[in-house]
Amino acid sequence: MDQDKQASMAEVMNRLWVQFLPLMEERVAILEAVAAALAEGTLTTDRRVEACGEAHKLAGVLGTFGLSEGTLLAREAEMGLSGEPESGPSAIRLAEIGAQLRTMLADRKP
Amino acid sequence: MQYRILIIDDEDDIREVAALSLETVAGWEVMVANSGAQGLARASVYKPDAILLDVMMPGMDGPTTFRELQKNPETAHIPVLLLTAKVQASDKIRFADLDVKAVLVKPFDPMTLSTQIAGVLGWD
Repeated sequence: MDQDKQASMAEVMNRLWVQFLPLMEERVAILEAVAAALAEGTLTTDRRVEACGEAHKLAGVLGTFGLSEGTLLAREAEMGLSGEPESGPSAIRLAEIGAQLRTMLADRKP
Repeated sequence: MQYRILIIDDEDDIREVAALSLETVAGWEVMVANSGAQGLARASVYKPDAILLDVMMPGMDGPTTFRELQKNPETAHIPVLLLTAKVQASDKIRFADLDVKAVLVKPFDPMTLSTQIAGVLGWD
């Protein structure tokens, strides 16, 4: 790929990062809320399914913005939330994932 | 050559990244649809050279959309590439039953997405 196209694409990605950061932060907030509900023993199936879907979306997009580690973490959350509740991630682990993802989002500069 | 691609994906961020990637890097003409139903309608009207189709969508999912595309004589010939973040073995088996050209995995590299697609389809 020539350098002009590379530069144009980098510019596009930075613009899209700014545009979609609030959406990604919202998805992380849902994971954090589910971790809290799991700790309190109030997590419903609907909420769990919703969080699984949000983790799936994060897994699909974070690596596209260069956050490969974020994709792995989101995938771990998705896999855990998609199984039986008894074999799912612990509240502590889910909260850790949420916190790590939040830090990654904050640290990635456009 | 300027190819025409239809991207069908319900996720705004992925759809935008993929569309701008293909436009910016490859110079292709990109159309988008945010659901399987919208994708079927647009494919029928625009007759793209290829379709990039998300697997997990609410309502009509990717495999169902693909089967509907195949049923329509106007769209049955259009090559389809699935785009998915699903990487489990059971998913791969499910996709293998479909006659799609390729299964591309999310996250993708926006710098090389067009090269991947062109490689699969034998485009210059």
